[in-house]
Amino acid sequence: MPLNDNLQQQLIRDLLVESFDSLDRFDREMLVLEKGQAGAETLNVVFRIIHTIKGSSGCIGLTKIENVAHAGESLLSLLRDGKLTVTPPLISALLEYSDALKAMLRCLEQTGQQGSADYSALLQKINAFQPGAAPQPKAATGFGLFEEEPAAPPPAPAASAPSAKIEAAPKAGPSVSDTAIRVELTHLDKLMNLVGELVLARNQIVQHTAQTKEGTLLNAAQRLNIITTELQESVMKTRMQPIGNVWAKFPRIVRDLAQELDKKVQLIMEGNETELDRTIIEAIKDPLTHIVRNSVDHGIETPAARRAAGKPEQGVLILRAFHEGGQVNIEIMDDGRGIDVARVKEKALQRGLITPDQAARLTHHEAFALVFLPGFSTVEKVTNVSGRGVGMDVVKTNIEKIGGSVDILSEAGQGATLKIKIPLTLAIIPALVVTSGGERFAIPQVSLLELVRLEGAQARQGIESLYGAPVYRLRGQLLPLAYLNRELKLANAPSGAADDITNIVVLHADGRQFGLVVDEINDTEEIVVKPLGKQLKGLNCFAGATIMGDGKVALILDVVGLAQNAHVISEIRDRTLLEQAKAAEKADDRQTLLVFSASHDARLAIPLSMVARLEEFPRALIERSGHQEVVQYRGQILPLIDVAKYLPKSGAAPVLSDPVQVVVYSEQGRSIGLAVGKINDIVQQTLTVQRQAARDGVLGSAVIQDKVTDLLDVPGIIRAADPTFYQTAPAA
Amino acid sequence: MGKTILTVDDASTMRKMVSFTLKGAGHEVLEASDGAVALQVLQSRPVDLVITDIHMPNMDGIELTRRLRASPHFGRKPILLLTTESDPARKNEGRAAGATGWIVKPFNQEQLLAIVAKVLPNS
Repeated sequence: MPLNDNLQQQLIRDLLVESFDSLDRFDREMLVLEKGQAGAETLNVVFRIIHTIKGSSGCIGLTKIENVAHAGESLLSLLRDGKLTVTPPLISALLEYSDALKAMLRCLEQTGQQGSADYSALLQKINAFQPGAAPQPKAATGFGLFEEEPAAPPPAPAASAPSAKIEAAPKAGPSVSDTAIRVELTHLDKLMNLVGELVLARNQIVQHTAQTKEGTLLNAAQRLNIITTELQESVMKTRMQPIGNVWAKFPRIVRDLAQELDKKVQLIMEGNETELDRTIIEAIKDPLTHIVRNSVDHGIETPAARRAAGKPEQGVLILRAFHEGGQVNIEIMDDGRGIDVARVKEKALQRGLITPDQAARLTHHEAFALVFLPGFSTVEKVTNVSGRGVGMDVVKTNIEKIGGSVDILSEAGQGATLKIKIPLTLAIIPALVVTSGGERFAIPQVSLLELVRLEGAQARQGIESLYGAPVYRLRGQLLPLAYLNRELKLANAPSGAADDITNIVVLHADGRQFGLVVDEINDTEEIVVKPLGKQLKGLNCFAGATIMGDGKVALILDVVGLAQNAHVISEIRDRTLLEQAKAAEKADDRQTLLVFSASHDARLAIPLSMVARLEEFPRALIERSGHQEVVQYRGQILPLIDVAKYLPKSGAAPVLSDPVQVVVYSEQGRSIGLAVGKINDIVQQTLTVQRQAARDGVLGSAVIQDKVTDLLDVPGIIRAADPTFYQTAPAA
Repeated sequence: MGKTILTVDDASTMRKMVSFTLKGAGHEVLEASDGAVALQVLQSRPVDLVITDIHMPNMDGIELTRRLRASPHFGRKPILLLTTESDPARKNEGRAAGATGWIVKPFNQEQLLAIVAKVLPNS
């Protein structure tokens, strides 16, 4: 009677679920053991875990898994019986062993096979810990009756001693398995979808019955309303999981990482039991892991550095989760070196993420926000620990995708704290329904701060224009405004209404506030979030869609995306906008200029239209051809001209930085590189050139960004350096 | 004639395997996830045979055997222990506690049916 396939599959699935859970527990208990905080029960627990995996896999015929499990089981039984003592290498080997089991199980999960990986080295390592001899060889399988066996030696007193203890143990209550069952996630998802539909139907009925005078129908509708709400809450609860499920892996990650980097880190986790919808748990798993790795890798210093800074050698990493205001707060705190504001700014400048001007004006808090910009990483070398091409920008994007927000606080030398706020659930959310251009839109309540209604004269005069951008003075603060009609290119509301009344929905996105002007504000409602089809996924203004009480579809606004489109949130973008607006006032004769310096003090500018590209070459790449400095560039030889040499001597000797900043200038298919000291900025402005300042290599001077700046005579300099440049026909 | 058998194991894989095999042979099978749960089940349902794992949380198989042997209700009905070869000491403990026989894990379905037939001759 062979096991039929169906049962076999089912047994394997059970084995996988149970074993992954219990191996995670195994890892955790190993760490407890390593710290020497384990009680007698710990060794029993880990033994049982392996014992169960071995037994179950053996029964289903997974002999390879069984054999690997067997090696650890005998080692663990020695540990349990006190014949071996715990040492760090032993723990490492057992963790490696647990990884091997997990790898085989994962392989089984994905391919249905146990995999072909060879674990004999690992098994040897495990066996080497067992004093005396190899582990007891596996006996032949079998069964029997005790009465048919020769009398066993009377049980040793030692063997009965523990049993006496068990008898004295408190009576065991009903175990969890009595009151809990495993349910397929797909069932829960389906249940949640159905409840979502029910909520929609409920909304429709409640809306219709609002007009009825029929008592019984009204009563029934009210009861339906209440029951649906309760059902919704109950079903939502079934999908809740404690955040501890995600955190369970962190002690192991932190331990391994700390060991790899020779650091000492103590991980403290608070609020393990804080519950979250499982879709959100899934979504934050990777970002949280990334942050934790980051903290250990970049935040916490080496023991020597910590000693030098007067801190205890062991760094502390605290994870804390708690509910607040209908949201879940997660804080990741470390007492490491913190974030160096100056270095962050310098990096952002180097990567061209901000201008020097902006850098000077950034507050500390704004500077921390720079680490979330795409393309930012403060660590020079990409380590295989945390630099995997996934930066903090991905962390931020992922968290914002689920309607959450991230914030960094840090004090140099004292450590850093990351604060994450995420909604409890994504499926059904409270939202404000507004109308604009005849269409209804839902705005998630979590982004909503307040509603402002301007009437009559206030509506006509309340909104001011600052450098072309509309703003409203809300209690003395300037609130940038975006018009929903304009952003979504909707038809304007019938005139007349719009002049008398202005509705401003004050929203926060990315930690900043802005006002969204809409035609009408309707009501708040519980809406069921339906994802947009993948054809519409690219629209960053919308987070999804929902079905309203009257059966019509309304789009859910993505507040962050909308704000970005309208250029109202980012301080940096905001200022660029203002500067652009300033320049736009004299749009007719403004120019875009590249501002740079040749040596440390001279400010120079050239029209951006003359620049083919900006490049950086490490000094080591610069070669010589005759008396000319050259560099290999895109398969050609690019002659380099040190601009400073062709300018009238200014005080100090010019020193080129390494890497050398190069402005590539192209004319008729030929290129030449102008080596400059530092590229500062790109500005747009009207140019009033003072010709009297003209001299060799300089066309004249102008005031750019409140500073006197010389305009470089590019053709003049090139002619001086290479008289043939403009004559020779392109090499082509 | 089919008998009622209780399988006690903290691993559901093992319980399902035992349950499937014995049901296929015409027995009724009850399941419990540890010794304490098994005792609760036995309060409401009399069974003809208990097959129990040794290593379980809350109450292990040895302790369960000892308690069953001490209970006048259960009397001398057979108890089979699921043991492992790496644990001869525990097997002897089980014998001392009053277990009827043992099966070494992993076992196949034929082995399980053979030992069950031995301890339940009338089935």
